Amino acid sequence: MLGKGLSSQVGSPRIRYGDPIVLYDFVVMKACLWALLFALPLAAQHGRYTSESTNPAIGDPAAIAAGGKLYQRSCAGCHGPDGSGGRGPNLVQRRNWHPLTDEGIFSTVRNGLPGADMPPTNLSDDETWQLVAFIHALIGPAAENPAAGDAAAGEAVFWGSKAGCSNCHAIRGKGGKIGPDLTDIGGLRPLAVIKKAVVQPSDELYYLGNESVTAKLKNGETVRGVAKNRDVYSIQIIDRGGKLHLLAMNDIAELEILQRSPMPGDYAERLSAGELENLLAFLARQTLRPAGPEAK
Amino acid sequence: MLRITLLLLVAHAALAQVSNQDLLNPPPENWLTYGGTYDSQRHTKLDQITPGNVKNLQAAWIFPITSTNRLQTVPLVVDGVMYVSAPNEVYALDARSGREIWQYRRANGVNRGPNRGVAVFGNLVYVGTPDAYLVALDARTGAVAWETQIAKAGDGYFSPGAPFVADGKVIAGVGGGDNGLNGWLDAYDAETGKLIWRWYTIPRPGEPGNETWAGDSWKTGGGGTWLSGSYDPQLGLIYWGLGNPAPDFDGDVRLGDNLYTESVVALELSTGKLKWHFQFTPHDAHDWDSVEIPILVDAPFGGRQRKLMAHADRNGFYYVLDRETGEFLHGTPFIDQLNWATGLTPEGRPIRVPGVEPTLTGNFVCPSTSGATNWMSPAYNPVTGLFYLAAKEGCGVSYKGRQEFRPGGFDFKATGYIESPEEPWQMYVRALDLTTGERKWEYMQVNAKNYGAGLISTASGLIFGGDDQGTFAALDAVSGKPLWHFDANYRISASPISYAVNGRQYVAVAAGVNIIAFRLPDAD
Repeated sequence: MLGKGLSSQVGSPRIRYGDPIVLYDFVVMKACLWALLFALPLAAQHGRYTSESTNPAIGDPAAIAAGGKLYQRSCAGCHGPDGSGGRGPNLVQRRNWHPLTDEGIFSTVRNGLPGADMPPTNLSDDETWQLVAFIHALIGPAAENPAAGDAAAGEAVFWGSKAGCSNCHAIRGKGGKIGPDLTDIGGLRPLAVIKKAVVQPSDELYYLGNESVTAKLKNGETVRGVAKNRDVYSIQIIDRGGKLHLLAMNDIAELEILQRSPMPGDYAERLSAGELENLLAFLARQTLRPAGPEAK
Repeated sequence: MLRITLLLLVAHAALAQVSNQDLLNPPPENWLTYGGTYDSQRHTKLDQITPGNVKNLQAAWIFPITSTNRLQTVPLVVDGVMYVSAPNEVYALDARSGREIWQYRRANGVNRGPNRGVAVFGNLVYVGTPDAYLVALDARTGAVAWETQIAKAGDGYFSPGAPFVADGKVIAGVGGGDNGLNGWLDAYDAETGKLIWRWYTIPRPGEPGNETWAGDSWKTGGGGTWLSGSYDPQLGLIYWGLGNPAPDFDGDVRLGDNLYTESVVALELSTGKLKWHFQFTPHDAHDWDSVEIPILVDAPFGGRQRKLMAHADRNGFYYVLDRETGEFLHGTPFIDQLNWATGLTPEGRPIRVPGVEPTLTGNFVCPSTSGATNWMSPAYNPVTGLFYLAAKEGCGVSYKGRQEFRPGGFDFKATGYIESPEEPWQMYVRALDLTTGERKWEYMQVNAKNYGAGLISTASGLIFGGDDQGTFAALDAVSGKPLWHFDANYRISASPISYAVNGRQYVAVAAGVNIIAFRLPDAD
């Protein structure tokens, strides 16, 4: 970490990081930036399918259930009972660089990965497709897969005051503007990823423009909200009222950046297990894509 | 009378040629090679744009090239004409206005890799192509003068680097290392396109260095030559950084140092014979290509004047070598987050930390595979004695698989990497003392985390560079203080240049789909 003497940015606001509160000079905040900086593009994060097989097992609840049993017997030992990994890679939070196809999964299950500790299997074609269907359901977008819970009850949770989701998040134009829009969340993310984002919002942040900030302006005003973008020279903040503030860094006396998601981190306690399951079922149904066969 | 006119036209055109003398000592108004000069210092003698007036700098023109959204071309300028390129395309522009003079399009159905620029010599413009040809175009019309196949596109090769011209030879290389395709460097006769020599980056059986590859692993060893090089005319040596070994992330199947991957090599320009080599990362498993452009400087070191080479490697270390002998003189990290080595031996070999190799479930490594720096060119200012570069902090998680080589240009990385969620990436421009590597200042490119742009230095004391957020900035070369910026708002991952036409200095850079040129406002 550099000392102050090497700082090249001058005339810029002091930047203060909340949680923990530490004062940094503008140039030495690198290690604290993780709340601002985001990983690979969303589409690459969770291995969207580049082509989906027409095999009837895909999306068939019976095949998925049968595949689930096969999975627990043959795969869970390395990849974890919920696909979250262990000796083998995490299948859900893949952030993978390879495009995903059902045929590719079939081939990997069938042949294994020679030299990489993943053994081949001797399952029949039908069994292998059941397993692929289960994995597809596990890691594919939530909207395409059956979800436990009561979506109608979850809708009430979403719009209700106990959870307060809609204070910040909008679905189809209704709701708050400060958090990410959730209209297509089920079409974009696997259920396990949505769940993690709800109960551990600060664990991994995927969205650009998710930084919770308080800007004290040189003119005495204070602007609180989410920074949609920020660079050396300017910042774009949306406040809780949905108002956009376009500010030059030179106009800011002090900028406080929260080192965690602005979203409350207590949903696992705030909601009952049933309420959470219902909320997830509701979110899983939010998609702009036509419903898949599983959703019928 | 007509005949006389024609003769005069021919004579005029002949004057516009780029001569050997021009390449050896370029007039400041022209930017004739990828690195600006053979030493690749990227330091323009133009001084009209200064720390005092740069605040007035404004965009003069924009030229869009919409066939790619990630232009990496480094423009060349010859007597008011700018040459820029994209995969399968070359354009000649009026460098004052960006107005197009001619365009060349190659209809080959292959679109592999980026294109990083052209070379010029005589009346010809040289470009490498996605189907691995070297094409020579008439600088005045864009007509094809000749073309020659560097490698077979069907094998998966392509030629993304800027060709390099010296002493009547065009040096051209290949990409394809990530597909397990072995690289080479070729020298072609600049006039005819006839092959003069070829140097293979992976030694074949019987050649020294082949023993650094277990079994037959040398056959698919990679070692691409996908950028450009530097040249010392006095020594008659060209210097080229070489790419990664393949399979990139699985080192188990290619035990040994894997020469000459991730080395800089000094080749005799006249013969292509290897004079010396220095390997930055022996037996690498993180895809840390060493293609980064070496900067040549004559400066005192250890009490006497020496011919030095300065190289900032993708592996996070800054190296100073003696470029006559390849002797390692000094090396030090230029990033804070580096966990794979504790330092360098007196010979410059990394002292490895065990347990950072890629694994099936992912292993934490700093820097990440995307590198502490990459193809973006560094710059050197002989007045400040500082080496300027795009540096990236942050870490990655690297995964290893097992993959079979498949001929024809298919991925042979044996899986890959992600950005570490705990130690995300952040780009900087940093200034290092040439001989010690000590950091003198840094400029954090807030919100920029990927690659970032190369740099130029100006005699007036400015550094220009951009970032992946599209911000193009001028910094004070001594203090690093930002003095001016322009929001191009599209990723800049190419290196800028500077040139002059009719006595006015310009700075130009490729940003996403646009070539943008800047100059001071018209005098009233």
